[in-house]
Amino acid sequence: MLRRFIKSKLFILLTVTVIVLIVMGLSSRKNSKIKYVSNVFTVVLTPFQELINYIGGQIDEASSYLKDIKALNDENEALKARIAELEDEVKELEGYKTKNDELKKALNIKHQFSDVEFLGANIIAKDMGNWFNTFTIDRGISDKISVDSTVITSNGLVGRVVSTDLISSKVVSIIDESSTVSARIAKTGNLVFVRGDLKLKEQGLCKLDNIFPDVDISVGDTIETSGLGGIYPKGITIGTVKEIRRKTNDMNRYAIIEPAVDFKRLEEVFVLIGKDNIEKAGESKDEG
Amino acid sequence: MRVKIVSYSILIFFITLVQSTVLDNIAIYNVKPNLLMVFIVSVALLGSNVEGAVVGFICGLVQDMVSGGPIGFYALLGLYLGFAIGSINERLYRENVLVTIIVTFISTVVYEFSVYFLSYFAKGSLQLVYPFTHVILPEAVYNSVVSIFIFIIILKIKRRSEKVAKDSRRY
Repeated sequence: MLRRFIKSKLFILLTVTVIVLIVMGLSSRKNSKIKYVSNVFTVVLTPFQELINYIGGQIDEASSYLKDIKALNDENEALKARIAELEDEVKELEGYKTKNDELKKALNIKHQFSDVEFLGANIIAKDMGNWFNTFTIDRGISDKISVDSTVITSNGLVGRVVSTDLISSKVVSIIDESSTVSARIAKTGNLVFVRGDLKLKEQGLCKLDNIFPDVDISVGDTIETSGLGGIYPKGITIGTVKEIRRKTNDMNRYAIIEPAVDFKRLEEVFVLIGKDNIEKAGESKDEG
Repeated sequence: MRVKIVSYSILIFFITLVQSTVLDNIAIYNVKPNLLMVFIVSVALLGSNVEGAVVGFICGLVQDMVSGGPIGFYALLGLYLGFAIGSINERLYRENVLVTIIVTFISTVVYEFSVYFLSYFAKGSLQLVYPFTHVILPEAVYNSVVSIFIFIIILKIKRRSEKVAKDSRRY
């Protein structure tokens, strides 16, 4: 009886389930070694994703090239005039820059990003399902990217790295439902939370909550990272307030944020790599 | 058997590649079909429950590796999906495209609801209507349409594999 049960499909199914659940529990820990398994597949897949991405980019470029020739001519004229204008401005600003550098040195101000390296990366793949707003970039452990590195563009915050493989990493964007960013209203300095929302992410927006009743917030306010929580550095632009909604009364309200980054047209990002990354990795290992 | 293993492996790799790159460009209402899931359903519908379970497990594992979440989440879902459909397929007239479409539709609804609940129930922000009308229903329709093509491919592989097996038995 028992022997027959052990040989049955049901028993195998249960055994596999239990083993997989254990593996799942172990691998959901931060910096888990089990995740290295995924390198087996991603190292093979990443070059192909890069290739497809490259071909897609070329096609886009070619089609827009044909479309834009006339527009470009007009733009060229306008830009030439603008260049002359800007060159004058640059000269002026360079003067300010040297002055600023001198003053900074004198005051010994530590610039907030001075101990951080910017690493450019291309987005090569999106998440396979419809629930999550994550994507894959073509840089990984070999480029010193670690879990929880901040990802930005020149416009503002994109998200953070959730897992790394040898030559690729996964980034979860701030509009994903699992993302929460500790933020502050730039105008007043009040602390708030920026969260992803399943309904809003289709339009590329996210939600701002934890607004206390006495907080003065209005449409158009800039929201930036607060630096609390230890993941994102302070002072990165997240976006602007698009709309303020009340649930029941003034006590209970939330705002819709339009991120500074256009998530629909995201192709290139920068990863911030702290020079103290090695220490950080050691710390989180102790926690796990 | 060998024909099946080789062609399924190639198909899984190719589908994963397409799913993670170009599929975003053909998304309708921000929803894209889940080709790997359709693949599991088609294979399980035409094969035995062991075949469905193994293919489901491997497809899920691949998705786990690519998506960066905990290893095993999609693998288990795929395992049960393949096993369940592989177990009931003898009661259905399974080489009929219409059956495939209906089974794909129902499986998508069940599968995607499971993914949604298991991913978000810990967060306490569960909704029922919105995810159904805006993600699951369009995806189920999309998957059903795509399942016609994938089903035909799997059916061809199956016939080919049976033919090779018969030929080798003759000698």
